[in-house]
Amino acid sequence: MNVPRFFLPVLVIAALFGGYALRTSFTQPTAQASFGGEGSETLVCTVEGLKCKGTAGFFMKLYEGRPGIASIETFATEHRAVFTYDPSLVTPSDIRAIMEAPIPLRDGREVQVFRCAEMD
Amino acid sequence: MKTRVLRYALLGAVLVSVIYLALGFGSRSFEAYCPFGGMEALWGLFQTREFTCALGPLNLSMFLAVLGLAFVAKKAFCGWACPIGFLSELAARLGGLFRKGARRPGPRLNERLKLLRYAALVVSLYFTYRLGELVLRGFDPFYIIFSGFGHGTLGWITYATLGVLVLGSLAVPMFFCRYLCPLGATLDPFSRLGFVKIVRNRELCTACGDCGAACPHDIRPQEMDAVRSRDCTNCLECVDACPEKGSLTLRATL
Ligand code: SF4
Ligand code: SF4
Repeated sequence: MNVPRFFLPVLVIAALFGGYALRTSFTQPTAQASFGGEGSETLVCTVEGLKCKGTAGFFMKLYEGRPGIASIETFATEHRAVFTYDPSLVTPSDIRAIMEAPIPLRDGREVQVFRCAEMD
Repeated sequence: MKTRVLRYALLGAVLVSVIYLALGFGSRSFEAYCPFGGMEALWGLFQTREFTCALGPLNLSMFLAVLGLAFVAKKAFCGWACPIGFLSELAARLGGLFRKGARRPGPRLNERLKLLRYAALVVSLYFTYRLGELVLRGFDPFYIIFSGFGHGTLGWITYATLGVLVLGSLAVPMFFCRYLCPLGATLDPFSRLGFVKIVRNRELCTACGDCGAACPHDIRPQEMDAVRSRDCTNCLECVDACPEKGSLTLRATL
């Protein structure tokens, strides 16, 4: 069967958009951690600085041992973190303050590694 | 209209989109769209159900889409969408490599060198799976160019790698695609099966060889009834170059 030439670009564009649309079927976290305890609320943050598995691991370490944080899932390519937390022990603004707190460097300077661009 | 105009329009649109993302516009990094990232993510997903390093679901879905595309239309992704393929082709045009009579590697050497891309595939998967990091970014032209020698590149080693790729692309058309691209190696078996392909009409063909001279991958349609080669990108340069109308056509056939 003859195929018209314009079929090729149409097919390629369909594949690219199809691939883009299909992404939600493969959503898996870059890294996740459970800290124990019960979390009845969920907070979704868009986090600037959350770029890869390394930064995701560092990000989650900031919440280790913090009361009220039950679990965190990070999605690096979407720059997204999902918290489950106990609202009687911690609030969304506490969660934001922890991620945005300046981190001391060895030379004494301090840098802000993460910034919460959006909260939901 | 020459098909190349249409093809370059699409390739140009993809290239501009990648540059747009690389400049920090858009919600994701340009790396998140790389189909080979999907292949690199498989082992991590299988082991821990987590994505490796900076990879994500879009890498995987793009990878599956490109595999599906190869199964239908061979390496059409390479010829119609890949920004590195596009830059390679522009370099080859700059080097005058598509002129009739331009020197190309002989068929035997060419076939042997193509085995390097399977080595590139094995090495990149081995290190990524073993270390759980994209440790070979410093050798990946897509990352080097669009990140502007970003995080993970390796100083003079990366400069030397890019230098070799540029010089290679000016000397042999589609140097990286032919000999080193791990995504190309992954697509090979699917491309071999791809059923939308170039078919030659023996009655109309005069065996002038213009099609073979125009092919960026040194395929010789003049010697085949149908182009089944795994290297064919369905770029249609051969069809445009053919002086005998109807001798080469695009067909869906097994
Ligand atoms: S260019 Fe056309 S006529 Fe010439 S060899 Fe190729 S298919 Fe045959
Ligand atoms: S055989 Fe034709 S369509 Fe295939 S790569 Fe060569 S020129 Fe392009």
